[in-house]
Amino acid sequence: MTKIQAAHLPGLDLQAVPWQTLTFGEGVQRVDVSVPQLTPEQLQALARHVRTQGGAQIRALSLTQIITAIDRAIARLLDAQDAYRQQLDRLLPLITGFDAEMVRLGLNAYLKTFRAPQLQRFVAEDFANPKLLDEFQPRAKGGMARALGPELLVHVWAGNVPGLPLWSLVCGLLVKAPAVGKTASAEPLFAAHFARLLAEVEPRLADALAIVWFKGGDTESERALYAEADTVLAYGGNETLAALRQQLPVTTRFLPHGHKLSVGLVSAAALDAQHLPAVARAAALDVVRYEQQGCYSPHTYYVARGGRVSPREFALALAGELSALQHRFARRALSLEEAASVAGWRQGQELKGQDGSVELVGDAGAPWAVAYADRAGPLLPCALNRTVQVQAVAALDETLPLLAVQRDFLQTVGVAASPEELHALAEGLGRAGATRICALGQMTAPEAGWHHDGRFSLLDLVRVVEIEASAEAAAEPYARYRD
Amino acid sequence: MPELLAFIARDGVGEADFNALALCLFAHQFQHNTAFQKFCQQRGRTPRTVKSWREIPAVPINGFKDLTLSCVPTDLCARVFQTSGTTRGDIKGRHWHPELAVYDLSMTRNFRTRFMAGHERLPMGILFPDEQQMPNSSLAHYLALALREFGAPGSRYFIDSSGLQIEALVVALQSAQASGQPYTLLGASYSFVHLMDALQERGLRFQLPAGSRLLDTGGFKGQSREMDMDAFYEQLASTFGVPRSACINMYGMTELSTQFYDGGNAMLPSVKSGPHWIRSRVVDPLTGVEVPRGERGILAHTDLGNYNSVTTILTEDVGIAVDGGFLLLGRAQGTQAKGCSIAVDEFLKAARA
Repeated sequence: MTKIQAAHLPGLDLQAVPWQTLTFGEGVQRVDVSVPQLTPEQLQALARHVRTQGGAQIRALSLTQIITAIDRAIARLLDAQDAYRQQLDRLLPLITGFDAEMVRLGLNAYLKTFRAPQLQRFVAEDFANPKLLDEFQPRAKGGMARALGPELLVHVWAGNVPGLPLWSLVCGLLVKAPAVGKTASAEPLFAAHFARLLAEVEPRLADALAIVWFKGGDTESERALYAEADTVLAYGGNETLAALRQQLPVTTRFLPHGHKLSVGLVSAAALDAQHLPAVARAAALDVVRYEQQGCYSPHTYYVARGGRVSPREFALALAGELSALQHRFARRALSLEEAASVAGWRQGQELKGQDGSVELVGDAGAPWAVAYADRAGPLLPCALNRTVQVQAVAALDETLPLLAVQRDFLQTVGVAASPEELHALAEGLGRAGATRICALGQMTAPEAGWHHDGRFSLLDLVRVVEIEASAEAAAEPYARYRD
Repeated sequence: MPELLAFIARDGVGEADFNALALCLFAHQFQHNTAFQKFCQQRGRTPRTVKSWREIPAVPINGFKDLTLSCVPTDLCARVFQTSGTTRGDIKGRHWHPELAVYDLSMTRNFRTRFMAGHERLPMGILFPDEQQMPNSSLAHYLALALREFGAPGSRYFIDSSGLQIEALVVALQSAQASGQPYTLLGASYSFVHLMDALQERGLRFQLPAGSRLLDTGGFKGQSREMDMDAFYEQLASTFGVPRSACINMYGMTELSTQFYDGGNAMLPSVKSGPHWIRSRVVDPLTGVEVPRGERGILAHTDLGNYNSVTTILTEDVGIAVDGGFLLLGRAQGTQAKGCSIAVDEFLKAARA
């Protein structure tokens, strides 16, 4: 059994902090994660400390220095020999239940998108002139402008895709926002680890981040924390987000990231004997990675008829790849609730299958299932944990109305199609709600600087302060050296 | 059917008798219900291969929504009970009953032993609409039966089309308290919550006479505020002066013809059990295999009262097998929303809109 603390509480008297244990796994696999149970007063004191001390620290650094600090922390995490990384490699699989090798590979791919060149690209995506984040810069229209980050940013994380909090944490750091992050019960470790590591590699940022935990729905703690923030960035279901929004003063900037749904499209052009194995393998990997827990994970593949390989044959090839991948990345043990959800989904497919319209591939004991339908329907979620629908369409543009049903939830569309088809489809996919179109096999690995849910991740966080030309002109008569 | 009625009327049966009748009903349903036959064939189970009631394929309760599970043409059925449709919105599960003789015998025989505590009749207040208002509700029929077969003079409904009749209830409770005779209240759990809230607003509490009993069923279903079950029974006890051990919870389903009861709720979770014509298993939802004793699983029930639909259903309820019955731990919540992935209900709502 392993015991570990997951928190970063700069400025707080640790003796006075009560701790609670979240238990994951059992037997030798068991991990007890101690999380702080701060009183509303302690939360408030922590938030104020981070806002004042941490804010002064982070604002004193240049953007380049901040990028360098993050890059050093990421370099440590990319080093397989580093103690922090080793702890993550060992504990994250135990906490989340995900296959260890899957976590290791996933983390590598993910961390690589946060190295210095990638971070610079990330900033450049949103700021033509990144120096706006350091000081006032001249504007082409006249006058000067500067981008200021939040005085205190609060992150509310959800879920158990390991490393997920890093995304918004880094966004906050890049705009020089001191931040308090609330971790999810499902994965409380990563964010705290990163904050501690960052403080180690750059002590001048030691007070700029705090990582806390409290139970969702603990309104007293929520209120105490949110009252101190001027920006709240939250992940969660729409109900959670709606409840959270209710608690915020109208002047607090709220950046919600609701649950999302993603989908794959396979064109007839990709369906011949030469391409099938690679396409099916890529599609299977997108399903297997993080057991479809991500917003970018596919629930359905719409597959076009008319290729040398039929949509049904694609479904069988996908099933074959899922079966093979079980040996490389074993599916985690399902909780009773998850198993019931998978069972319910299977039963639903079987019931639909009584008239022959749905064929369920993979028996009840298999750690995956593919439901093949000859007639495509509106995009619906599957049951996660390697359950996926394959539905045949005459052509890929037929899917647009089927996807648009989920316009508010659609996020990533993985596409295997010819260049002409890709570009012809993109406009329609965008209008159907998609914000990210990528290659099959890349669905769970967004590129550095992507616009999460179609938003400008850094611009959304800042406030622009402008010195208008009139102020400059009006100041001239008061200069000591005026003529 | 006479055989089934006689079976229910017996004082108890052994495994072999239960098994024999279950297999007989299975063969009958396999033969006369094509939807069920297909369902069994998908699983490679037929009357030739099934040798024990435990091997009868359990139909998930969603099957009552998607399939017509009846051995006789549905237009010949006297009654159809429908689910309230809490999980899949507008789609309701339907349970067809050619006639209600078996249902009624099952209900009355079981109710007498499990709720009446030796009384022939007791004064009853029903916190649920009557059968005229809800002709397709199995609970409305159940409570109508209770009232008709076991209600003492003065028993009545306290819900009409305009809702809970608080004033009349207050009068009835006050007179019950004064009479010294045991009184009973029966109804949906959420109706009790509404009643307790209304009484609390008025600052009223009662001390019902010794021997009084309460029967709640069905949980809150979004019809009232969700209450912690311990707080619920604590508040029942303090509002009505009925000890928690006399607060009985009935666990029933539209998809069954027989109910389960506990012996009061002094301790939670209470042990639920049914009569000799229903048996329950706790299974792995994916494989249908029984889980080791003491482990959580999904409840599957084999109800011989379900002679026209299917004897064996797979619920969405989590339970643990214990001595003398099972613990009911609530509904399997489905996939908890995790990561930035899905909350199935949200998407289903979107798909219907």
